[in-house]
Amino acid sequence: MSTPLISVENLCVEIKTNRGLLQAIRGVSFDIDSGDSIGIVGESGSGKSITLKAVLGLLPNNAHVSSGKIYFAGQDIAKLEKKARRALLSETAGMIFQDAIAALNPVITIGNQIAEVPRYRLGQSASQSRQTALKLIEQVGISDAESRFDLYPHQLSGGLRQRVAIAIALSASPKILFCDEPTTALDVTIQAQVLRLLLELRRNSGLGIVFVTHDLAVVNEICDEIKVMYAGRFVESGTVDSTFNNPTHPYTYSLLKAAPDPDASVHRLFSISGEAPNLSEPVVGCPFAPRCFAGDTHCLTSEPELLKIAHSESACFKSKDHDKWAASDSKSGVK
Amino acid sequence: MKSLKTLYIGAGILGTLVLAAIFAPLITSYDPTEQDLLQTLSGPTSAHWLGTDALGRDVFSRLMYGARVDLTIGVLAVLLPFIIGVSLGLMTGWFGGKFDSSVMRVVDTVIAFPFYVLAIALVFIFGPGVKSIVVAITLVGWVAYCRIVRANVLVAKELDYIHAARLTGLPTSRILRRHMLPNVISQAIVFSMSDIVLSILAIVSLGYLGLGVPIPTAEWGSMIQEGQPYILQQWWLATIPGFMVVIVGFALSLIGDGLVSRLER
Repeated sequence: MSTPLISVENLCVEIKTNRGLLQAIRGVSFDIDSGDSIGIVGESGSGKSITLKAVLGLLPNNAHVSSGKIYFAGQDIAKLEKKARRALLSETAGMIFQDAIAALNPVITIGNQIAEVPRYRLGQSASQSRQTALKLIEQVGISDAESRFDLYPHQLSGGLRQRVAIAIALSASPKILFCDEPTTALDVTIQAQVLRLLLELRRNSGLGIVFVTHDLAVVNEICDEIKVMYAGRFVESGTVDSTFNNPTHPYTYSLLKAAPDPDASVHRLFSISGEAPNLSEPVVGCPFAPRCFAGDTHCLTSEPELLKIAHSESACFKSKDHDKWAASDSKSGVK
Repeated sequence: MKSLKTLYIGAGILGTLVLAAIFAPLITSYDPTEQDLLQTLSGPTSAHWLGTDALGRDVFSRLMYGARVDLTIGVLAVLLPFIIGVSLGLMTGWFGGKFDSSVMRVVDTVIAFPFYVLAIALVFIFGPGVKSIVVAITLVGWVAYCRIVRANVLVAKELDYIHAARLTGLPTSRILRRHMLPNVISQAIVFSMSDIVLSILAIVSLGYLGLGVPIPTAEWGSMIQEGQPYILQQWWLATIPGFMVVIVGFALSLIGDGLVSRLER
């Protein structure tokens, strides 16, 4: 097997806070290659965005990678010179953000922002880079590129801004696009358009996609693989189809159950009781145990590893019983 | 649109003063240093609109020519600290690390040092004159810009568009110039408006202490000092130059206010 474009091994990230060191990421591993699409889901504070930032070297000053390795095209980026690392990173990965208006520089026209990389990094002439930018604008599905070239970000709608942000990310021709909840701030129809655009890019140019979101429906739509994150770890990892139909971790199961179902006869939303653990204290036992319906006392004392179980990987002592959860649930009539 | 009004009023007042300073030879026919010992300390007359001083020099023309000196030094003494402070602030905020902490220690030292003591010491070393005033104010003034810009850079560094620019592999110089600078500089510009007032005040104070522009060049500070002995009889000699400083300060703070709301949307 060839080396994957990006490979993350046992990544741990610590954040310094006023109340001490916070273990934001506690051992996360994944591989991604061009054409792959991975969805990382989890609730707020589970470490999804920090994972992306750590991989892309965008951690804020108070956070640092405490252990683990990140390989880009087989090279350990921690061992590379700053310049070489930046070059390798920008060749390999691009990123789009949740809030497109914040991801665009307010004082530069969108055309010039898109043309910047071709012009100042790839050394194209002014007119060449303009052509490249116009092409990119069209590629992300913005009509009338010429007349929109000279607009400022605040003159565009939310959906167009996100398309511009995608065009900027694509201008460096990355092989993997990291998406940090890019559709959360958009309304549903625009969201669908942006997702369709990402799917097209993936199909047409083999772009790999890492999609961080808390929206399970979105993952279902555009990802092949799903990784469920809880308290700084992946608790379940598998293909979208099998995971959605047959979750092997109680957290995934509860998440899926908490998603609103328009056909449900009972219109009361299910919610997971309790709250995510405080990561500034050491985690003892399974972090989900206090909120879990399937756990027992054993779960409170030792933390399960992410292990292969049936069709996916799951970090749960009870995952071999996953078939029974749905059965007992339907009997008690919650859903 | 109230902000625009204050901006225009301020710019109008300042513009009038600047024009008066530039076209001083056309407005008044008197040489500001020409003495007329037969007509000393005369009150306002049709010939001398604001009277004459103890050496019979026309006060109005001295005010106009003094504006040249004070406004020029005022702007110069802000421009240099502005450039130095903004660039250092950009770099310290961006690169951080040892460079940042050593520059910030220098900043702390300068801030802890009383400005006038430092300025007077420097003027003693370099001798009185425009150059030493500008150098003195620059040595002290850059720290404010450095801190303002550095604080803004620290915030902007974590903004998504800076992340996006970094990820696309643009050269650092380009990111700093094109992405960072335009978005962190507005506060520094607004501050520079009030800083001009402060530096004019410093020039005038140094002039008053006899450490400013050497006599007999017309300058507001030395005019105040020379008018002081006659404050009970010819009060306007010392008061009007002071009033000019107030007007400049007023105009600049109007401009500053207007800019705040214009630049910071």
